[in-house]
Amino acid sequence: MKKQNAEKKYLPEMPQKEIDELNNSIRVSSEKIMADNIARMKKTDAKRPAAMQYFDEIANFFGQREKEIQAEKAKGKKVIGYFCIFAPIELILAADAIPVRVNSGWYDSAKLGDRIVPVEVCPVIRSTIGAKMIGLSPYLELSDAVISTLTCDGMTKLSEILSDAKPVWTMTPPRVKDSAQSLQLWKEEIKAIKTQIEKLTGNKITAKKLKAAIESMQKASKAFRRLQDLRKGNPVIMGRDAMLANQVAMYDNIERWTQKIEALCDELEKRRDQKAWACSPDTPRVVVTGTPMFWPDNWKLPTLVEEATPQGLLVGDELCSSDRILYDPVGIDEWTMDDMINGIAERYLMASTCPCFTSKDGNEDRVNWLITKVKETKASGVIYYVIRGCMLYAMEYARVKRALDKLNIPVYYLDTDYTREDVGQMKTRIEAFLEMLAARVDF
Amino acid sequence: MYEALFGTILAWTTAVGLALAGILVILIWKKDRTRKVSYLRLFIQTVSLVGIFYSFTIALWLSVFLIVILVATMFTGRFFCGWICPFGFYMDLIALLRKALRVRYWTLPESVNDALQKLRYVIAAVILVSPLFLGALAISDVSGTQALYLRGPYKSLNIMLSPLEPLIVPWAGSVATLSFIDWSFSYPYARDIMFYINIPFVTSVIVYVFIGLSLAGTFMYRRFWCRFCPTGISIAAVNKFKTFKWMPLLHINKTEEKCTKCGICKRVCPVQVVDVYEQKGGDIATSVCLNCMRCVEMCPYEGCLKMKLAGKTIFQSRNWLQPSEM
Amino acid sequence: MGIQTVKIVILKDGAVAARAKEFSGFEPTKAAEQAFAEALKTAQISKQEVSQVLATGSGMDMAPYSNGTVSMMGADAKAGVFLFPSARTIVDVGAEEAIAVKCDERGIMLDFVVNERCAAGAGTFIEAMARALEVKLEDMGPLSLKAERASPINASCVIFGESDVVSLIHRQESKPEIARAVFDSMADRVSSMIHRLGINPDIALVGGVAKDVGFIESLKRKLGITILVPEYPEYSGALGAALTAASRAKGGQK
Repeated sequence: MKKQNAEKKYLPEMPQKEIDELNNSIRVSSEKIMADNIARMKKTDAKRPAAMQYFDEIANFFGQREKEIQAEKAKGKKVIGYFCIFAPIELILAADAIPVRVNSGWYDSAKLGDRIVPVEVCPVIRSTIGAKMIGLSPYLELSDAVISTLTCDGMTKLSEILSDAKPVWTMTPPRVKDSAQSLQLWKEEIKAIKTQIEKLTGNKITAKKLKAAIESMQKASKAFRRLQDLRKGNPVIMGRDAMLANQVAMYDNIERWTQKIEALCDELEKRRDQKAWACSPDTPRVVVTGTPMFWPDNWKLPTLVEEATPQGLLVGDELCSSDRILYDPVGIDEWTMDDMINGIAERYLMASTCPCFTSKDGNEDRVNWLITKVKETKASGVIYYVIRGCMLYAMEYARVKRALDKLNIPVYYLDTDYTREDVGQMKTRIEAFLEMLAARVDF
Repeated sequence: MYEALFGTILAWTTAVGLALAGILVILIWKKDRTRKVSYLRLFIQTVSLVGIFYSFTIALWLSVFLIVILVATMFTGRFFCGWICPFGFYMDLIALLRKALRVRYWTLPESVNDALQKLRYVIAAVILVSPLFLGALAISDVSGTQALYLRGPYKSLNIMLSPLEPLIVPWAGSVATLSFIDWSFSYPYARDIMFYINIPFVTSVIVYVFIGLSLAGTFMYRRFWCRFCPTGISIAAVNKFKTFKWMPLLHINKTEEKCTKCGICKRVCPVQVVDVYEQKGGDIATSVCLNCMRCVEMCPYEGCLKMKLAGKTIFQSRNWLQPSEM
Repeated sequence: MGIQTVKIVILKDGAVAARAKEFSGFEPTKAAEQAFAEALKTAQISKQEVSQVLATGSGMDMAPYSNGTVSMMGADAKAGVFLFPSARTIVDVGAEEAIAVKCDERGIMLDFVVNERCAAGAGTFIEAMARALEVKLEDMGPLSLKAERASPINASCVIFGESDVVSLIHRQESKPEIARAVFDSMADRVSSMIHRLGINPDIALVGGVAKDVGFIESLKRKLGITILVPEYPEYSGALGAALTAASRAKGGQK
């Protein structure tokens, strides 16, 4: 790997004063937004589960978790950031490093990213660039290396741009999932990343450690699925709360997170037995699918859905920032090193529903997963959410719509950006959609 | 004296094996201890091994087994191969040994695996035809019905029964003799090789090479022999013709929408059947599947893979998410 | 509670008893109160006799006296089917937004599309171009009907439309042809919006812009099928809200 050049390719030299000012102002407003979001979530569900308290605290980017990671780093642990959920978390855990997802959910930093790349670029990318420019994201700043999976054009160039400031390890997923060469390529990528991780951390990933990491993630998957299963019946938890609990998994200590989720599920089961519903069981049930939504700013859509008149309930989603994160476990047959690497490679590639893939046999993975989700959660409608600039999700809409039309499930295409300006417009549309769903339920 | 002891051991093995198997069946159905199917299978295989050992002395049972292998297989799929066949049992035991030694298994490239499956037909054809040219086997201390299987035109049927050959047989003329109890070591297909290649010294070499290779192959490749065993072809024939589609009453069924293509089923299959993975949904038509149910056991998506007997689901994949013990 | 104007409709015994309209201006609530008072006078009923008031439109949260709200799409669907029982697609072209709603015979919404972010498919476009042509707004329609063909205009944006007109006049394009081009490009946008929904006859056209004969002609040409236009198209939103209020009052729904 070439040594990092002192001269930057993309990132500008900004005067420290400007950086500090922007960092401060965005940080302050972000803390307000996070507090505001949580307050609103509490308001929507008067009996919000007490177990959510933990997740609210960890969700604060500038709070407890940042300090914890700093303390771990001081002890010598490494932090490895990642963008897409293709990064093999099990390998990172087995090397005793801390995995954190570093996609940016701040609206204001997207404007900073506009200085480097055009506005048509995916706003998540722009926001991440902006966050790097002013050192806004604590997890990105704390990362010793970042794993960037080159799933789309934006990610490909983002890894180049970020390499100005951080060591970026790229992983190339094949675009065709199911040919023999694809799996071969991906396995080699996994092996290469394993070597990188071992080199950075100085820890060898032994079969024993890897087994422990995989088992820990399997337990997390189990707890995760338990939470999503509880959302399938009458509403015991509002969608936003579940989404927050899901998101926190991306940067929290996974074992502690698992325990807290189990505690949350216990509480939710009690609510279910007491029939203490979070909102009326007649509330139109909505599934969201599309581009990922990152806390804190990009909570726009779920907030609008659950605070609209008539109110909607998010019962599930097909988002790589929420219900997709820990859904698939790594299945191991014989716990030899080779089997585990195979298992990890196959799970991260084959089970993915990202539209960045196509496949020889029709590429229905995403559609199938969505249909199963819609049926299991008894959703009355689907919101197809696309961030402007994402060709992959936008182009798959026609296919998803056709599949859902066959099931007589209404789909609404909603595209938006990292901006607060279109909240009014979105509100009108979401409310009309929810009205439509409510009317169908009535009749 | 040793015979009596041996007999007692066998009897107890049968009784205990059946009892444990019964308990496991109840546990699986009532408490959904899905993972235990692999254990259940081992117990049933143990019981069947004992049963077959006894029945080798009674020729009538040989006929029953033949019918089971050739005819019932068309209806039950290769259930015989996965659950009853002693040769399969030996291979599973070797696999357990390999796991204990923490040696990883090898996989054949798919094309080679497919070629081996076609090899079955060749082998079966040779078996069925060769006795017509090669005449009878002279074994002095068998008579009556048993002789039917061991000589003349019915010899080919005997080779179909070869996988049932117990490793210790009460008659001489097998691979090696254990002097202190007057019995002999045998090995499936060994006697047939000795019969057909009746040249001194060459025979022994070939037999030992065959045994060595098949053991080595099984050690590295998981159920190596089953991929080209001629005994299991009846189900293959059935799969080829659409009119017989209803025949396999015991088969795997897949719900297309729930499959996430994670590939676990393909990886854990001991005979590397890819049809479970490749076929999108519905009844999986495959002629090598041993119905060992390992894929159903390991599929982590609830209700995705089901084992169906005459349309009724007897066993389905569940959301396990805890490490497997086998 | 529209962006430009506030419209009131009072229903009595299932029929329209009164209509009133006021410019929203900076104080839409006050304008609504005024229009409401006017409508009451026309209908000769007192405020107490009104059992349910529902508001719709972009300013619906600022409506006075309202018992609740309903979305524009839902209101339009109800109004469309009330006015034309055979209508299954309702197209509402207002001052700054255009929407298309698919509905069933009961006026229940099945699907809807909204004109995204761009006012070049709505009434403001006509206003801007009328200003540029120095023609009165209400004359644009009849003017365009005189043209045999449409001038080629680069109607990608209202802002640039005005400077476009200047260059067209220089090239000796006649005003009727330019006017027709304006309506054609609007009809283009609206028809592609309807296509996204799927053409489901019959199509009813409502909203302020539906008063303009020029637009109706262009849209008819573009879609190639007849379009049903009611007598007071700009009141469709208010009418739909009133119909919804009536059914809610009857059904005792929220």
